[in-house]
Amino acid sequence: MDFELDDEQRGWVDEVRQFLAENVTAALKAEMAEHGLEFQGGELTAFRRKIGEKGWFGLNWPTQYGGLGLTPTHQHLLMSEFEYAGVPGPDLTVTSIAPMIMRHGTEQNKKDFLPGIARGEIVFALGYSEPNAGTDLAALRTRAVRDGDEWVINGSKIWNSGAQRSTHEWLCVRTDPDAPRHRGISVIAVPVDSPGIEIHPLIAWSGYRTNETFFNDVRVPAANLIGEVNAGWTYITGALDLERGALTNAGDLRRALDDLIAIAGSPEPAFRRRLAQAEADVEVAKLMGYEAASLLDSGRIPSIEVSVEKIFTSELRQRIADLAIDVLGPDGLRVGTFFERLYRVSPLMRFGGGTNEVLRDVIAQRGHTMPSYGR
Amino acid sequence: MRVIPSQDERDLAAMCRGVLAADLEPDAQWKALADAGVLGLPVDGGLTDVGIFCVEAGRALCPRVVQSTMYAALAIDWLGVGSDWLPRLTSGDARGTYALFDPRDASVGLPVSGAADFVTDADVADVIIASTSSGVMAVDTSTGVSVEPVATMGGYPAFSVRFDDAAAGVDVDPARLRRLTNAIVALDCLDLVGVGEAVVERTVEYTKMREQFGRPIASFQAAQHLVADMHIALAAARLAAQSAVFWIGKGRTATRETAVARMRAAEVKKITLDAHQLHGGMGYVVDTGLYKFSERARILSTLGGGADIAATWLENEMNWKPAR
Repeated sequence: MDFELDDEQRGWVDEVRQFLAENVTAALKAEMAEHGLEFQGGELTAFRRKIGEKGWFGLNWPTQYGGLGLTPTHQHLLMSEFEYAGVPGPDLTVTSIAPMIMRHGTEQNKKDFLPGIARGEIVFALGYSEPNAGTDLAALRTRAVRDGDEWVINGSKIWNSGAQRSTHEWLCVRTDPDAPRHRGISVIAVPVDSPGIEIHPLIAWSGYRTNETFFNDVRVPAANLIGEVNAGWTYITGALDLERGALTNAGDLRRALDDLIAIAGSPEPAFRRRLAQAEADVEVAKLMGYEAASLLDSGRIPSIEVSVEKIFTSELRQRIADLAIDVLGPDGLRVGTFFERLYRVSPLMRFGGGTNEVLRDVIAQRGHTMPSYGR
Repeated sequence: MRVIPSQDERDLAAMCRGVLAADLEPDAQWKALADAGVLGLPVDGGLTDVGIFCVEAGRALCPRVVQSTMYAALAIDWLGVGSDWLPRLTSGDARGTYALFDPRDASVGLPVSGAADFVTDADVADVIIASTSSGVMAVDTSTGVSVEPVATMGGYPAFSVRFDDAAAGVDVDPARLRRLTNAIVALDCLDLVGVGEAVVERTVEYTKMREQFGRPIASFQAAQHLVADMHIALAAARLAAQSAVFWIGKGRTATRETAVARMRAAEVKKITLDAHQLHGGMGYVVDTGLYKFSERARILSTLGGGADIAATWLENEMNWKPAR
């Protein structure tokens, strides 16, 4: 057990901080305050290009795929710093989809997608949920039928976040309707500009845009099928575990609490106590991130551990958002302030990326071999 | 940074678990632990190694005198007081204990000189490492020390001790004393983690075996979510306690980490109470012994101060500034 960053890791954190100090400009913050992640061709686009130039989109990929060959711990430390700075770092395309392509993809898949992802040119939207297949993802019905050298896709996806600024869908489709439901699913990389795709925006309480996306006789090359046909469930769940790991950095929580404590000044004893409890929990969240990164370094995908982390950090985020408005009083309600928005943002991570209820089932059933109740 | 146990650490844990699992009378167990080198860990190993034993001690409900003796050895080694006792404690020839802080709040030195309440294992200790107004001293219990039992939950071996503190003690820098008390608090947090681990395992096994409505109660989502919450609380307690012990072992006072550890370890109490809920009457009758874990959890998250006291330690470490 070693909780201390070594010299090399401290040097890495310094390098990342230096990069952020130089590149998180007032103009970038202003653009993000106004447009979130949606403004194309501006400050955020330039910022992403700089991340790409550093090679940080593929920082923990093997060098054979154009990565830097650094460890998941490097990735974790970088993400924590990016979150602390309030800017988007390497996204799920890099952290969860690319590793699945490396692990399970065909040689053609690797050639087609990995170099582009590393350069920041290929960005995937996750095409998982459907109107009737949310938490019960294996009920998905979007169909892909083989026709010569192509797959023909029909169906719809919901909560298809980022589709409007992605190049591809990481699309989960049913390829064998007669197989047991977990065994008839495949993953196909679908170019978003394919004819037959319609993206309809859905705006969330936080102002966040997600989408419902329709696929009508969309044709993609057969080679775009990831890995093997009907083996997609493994890739989806593996990517979800990695996604949860990426979603559970405590960097944004550390920042939120630091800011809240600074604004609170010398709060009443009751608030001071609650802030101390949040401080303890943010510290624990950091340690959970260290543990997950250490497990990844050792070659394991930490499935139970990231479920624990995801539940812990998402519920903590809601507690901090709620505490902040309690501490700040009516000033905490002012539109345009961080905590007013965080209160509206914080429900997302609790149900997104696998609801906390399903993850509690996962902990009990996978972690403690308690029996399934028929889910 | 590598927050997973090394092979050596796993081996040490397995060795400790093996010795503690043997069904031995207390004296034979004491000898087995001494022979295995466990009592020497405070000087031969790192603090993390002592912590590994503490987890196993909690799991196995090991008599507390083993830890009392190890903590006394740590005190001697770290504070340079009563060094003659050290080889006897680490070899198992003598037993020891400590009276270094207010049992209501470990951040406070003993309030009354020459008297200490809730001293663990004082009846069997050959030496008590005590903090008094005239410094820290090694009190030989064969020389006119009065030891009165305090009837405590679960038959916990707590005693009121009166001793002559006229002899000059050793002046210890308060920061060094605080580091030691933090070590004891943090190690007891790992004991609580062991208690929690054992309770979760027993509880899961019981829910798989116990059938109602024609199915194991483990298959009900309400039961699974209680277990998941126990698991999450335990993961938090474990990481917080391991981190505190690590940093104290590195030489820091680590009051912040110790406070976090104690705040999270106190959740083990709730784990034991939820375990009673899942066991129903079968956990409530004394035959099954679940209550022994529940008592150890309640006691160890009380002595030295519980979660609320620890929160005051953390508040004092936080950076409160005038509003900006």
